[in-house]
Amino acid sequence: MSWIREGELSLLERLTANVLKAGPMPKHVAFIMDGNRRYAQKRHVERQEGHTQGFDKLAETLRWCLNLGIHEVTVYAFSIENFKRSKEEVGGLMELAKEKFLRLLDEQENLEKHGVCIRVLGDLTLLPEDLQRHIAKAVVSTRAHNKCFLNVCFAYTSRHEIANAVKEMAWGVEQGLIKSSDVSEALLNECLYTSSSPNPDLLIRTSGEVRLSDFLLWQTSHSCIVFQSILWPEYSFWNLCEAILQYQQNHHAIQKAREVHREGQAVQQLESDHSCVAELLQHRGNGKPVDPQCRQTALQSYAASREERVQRFIGALQQKRDTFFDHLLSPTAVA
Amino acid sequence: MALLYELVWRLLHCLLQLQRAAAAWIRGRVWRRGGRLCRRAALRLPGALGFSTQKKTAKPRRVRWVADGKALEKLPLHVGLLVAEEEQQYTDIANLVVWCMAVGISYVSVYDNEGVFRRNNSRLMEEIMKQQQELLGSESCKYSLEFLNNGTDPHALLCQTVVKVLSPDDGKLRIVQAAQQLCKAVEKKERTSKDIDVTVLDSLLRESKNIPDPDLVLKFGPVDSTLGFLPWHIRLTEFISLPSHKDVSYEDFLSALRRYASCEQRVGK
Repeated sequence: MSWIREGELSLLERLTANVLKAGPMPKHVAFIMDGNRRYAQKRHVERQEGHTQGFDKLAETLRWCLNLGIHEVTVYAFSIENFKRSKEEVGGLMELAKEKFLRLLDEQENLEKHGVCIRVLGDLTLLPEDLQRHIAKAVVSTRAHNKCFLNVCFAYTSRHEIANAVKEMAWGVEQGLIKSSDVSEALLNECLYTSSSPNPDLLIRTSGEVRLSDFLLWQTSHSCIVFQSILWPEYSFWNLCEAILQYQQNHHAIQKAREVHREGQAVQQLESDHSCVAELLQHRGNGKPVDPQCRQTALQSYAASREERVQRFIGALQQKRDTFFDHLLSPTAVA
Repeated sequence: MALLYELVWRLLHCLLQLQRAAAAWIRGRVWRRGGRLCRRAALRLPGALGFSTQKKTAKPRRVRWVADGKALEKLPLHVGLLVAEEEQQYTDIANLVVWCMAVGISYVSVYDNEGVFRRNNSRLMEEIMKQQQELLGSESCKYSLEFLNNGTDPHALLCQTVVKVLSPDDGKLRIVQAAQQLCKAVEKKERTSKDIDVTVLDSLLRESKNIPDPDLVLKFGPVDSTLGFLPWHIRLTEFISLPSHKDVSYEDFLSALRRYASCEQRVGK
């Protein structure tokens, strides 16, 4: 079973898609693909078979998303917490992943045709080394594609991601690239694994569970969240349409909430700059009062230099990440 | 063709809106009729028996609530009340807080994404005290309440329920502040970046009171989003939606708790 499924929608599906597309559409959809094991139990098949069918459903869902004009999808494939499962099941899942990432390399041509960029988000160092290498190959070979994006969260939890982002910022401080006062919400965003994606507009969790289970907690704080009771391997085009309909009903209210949040963020940044400048001026002027004109120019030049520091740091961070993958693929790593 | 699609789309959403409005209307009517019947019964009863209304109605109700709490298979330790509606009704929120106290929930957080409750903290607290008196009657002194405000130390009382009013500032901003604090420590060479992990960050975000993460969030209103509610702390939180906090009834509240009690948590397994 391949990653990209060829095929068109039926007439009725196409009509529905067109009607939906007349309204606001989500650009980025995230899935918690829950229910593979319950599905296997229900159908009296092996657990591993449930996981395999779950993967096939992902390929099918990606096609629906493309047909609906959704060009970015993020899925929760394996949580760090999942390492707690039985050794046998974890081993099976790792094998499945290995097989699928290998398969992906055979499908280069197809991926190129559709312009699919695959990113794997998570703490890859927790995975077996051969799987790490397969993942690195898949990521590096599709890095330049830019038509649609599939983010696979593997060995991922949101808390781990946020803590890692803080660690990266602390690294930047250690390296003298940024100051601790440069730490802001926007900078933290840039240090997450998801830094190259916009926040998801819609998060779908299947199988009737009503939790986020440590998935994209930061990124979905102003997303439409839809819980559906269907098990993932049974997910259909119509379920997806239902979720999009719910997104459309929420669209206005959520846009407004996002706007409120953005304004708050801008105010925080300004306040932070203000207090940094005040400290600087006091330091320089030995506590003498400063005229507002001078203060304003100082504020502007401070903001510009902060932005410059931040950009330099983000560049260094990106390089560090690229090196990680390149190193995995270098011949010395294989040996 | 595009025009036709748009027309159909508009029609579809009109129908959905209509359906939602109809559901709200029916709910409102049922509630009002139910309320009226209760009041009528309450008026008739004491007349016949010659008791005053207050004592007669307050006690059985309270006893029932405590029994309801005990009858549940599992009770959340910490409940978040997330209001995703334009209008905030202080009395209804106060009722919900008092019901939480009565069934035996230890921590209650109240949140809205524009910080309205935070700004009107004292008004909400007054309302809660008032509803506590009214709903729990003479027994209310048995329930102690603690209000947590930012910066002020909580009173050293033996407390059963802690109520906290949250705003978006307690969410991402608090995480950013914790990150800044850690980076400052790194700047002063008191820490290295390698020391930073989930546990370190979690203990910074947990504050001194050691309040557990919310087990359950009751979300009121038509918006299907967490609207910035404590991103760090809702890892394993169950979300249950109720159509509105306006005129919410004890039965609605209890059925949400029952739904929570029937949920199973596997934590990755």
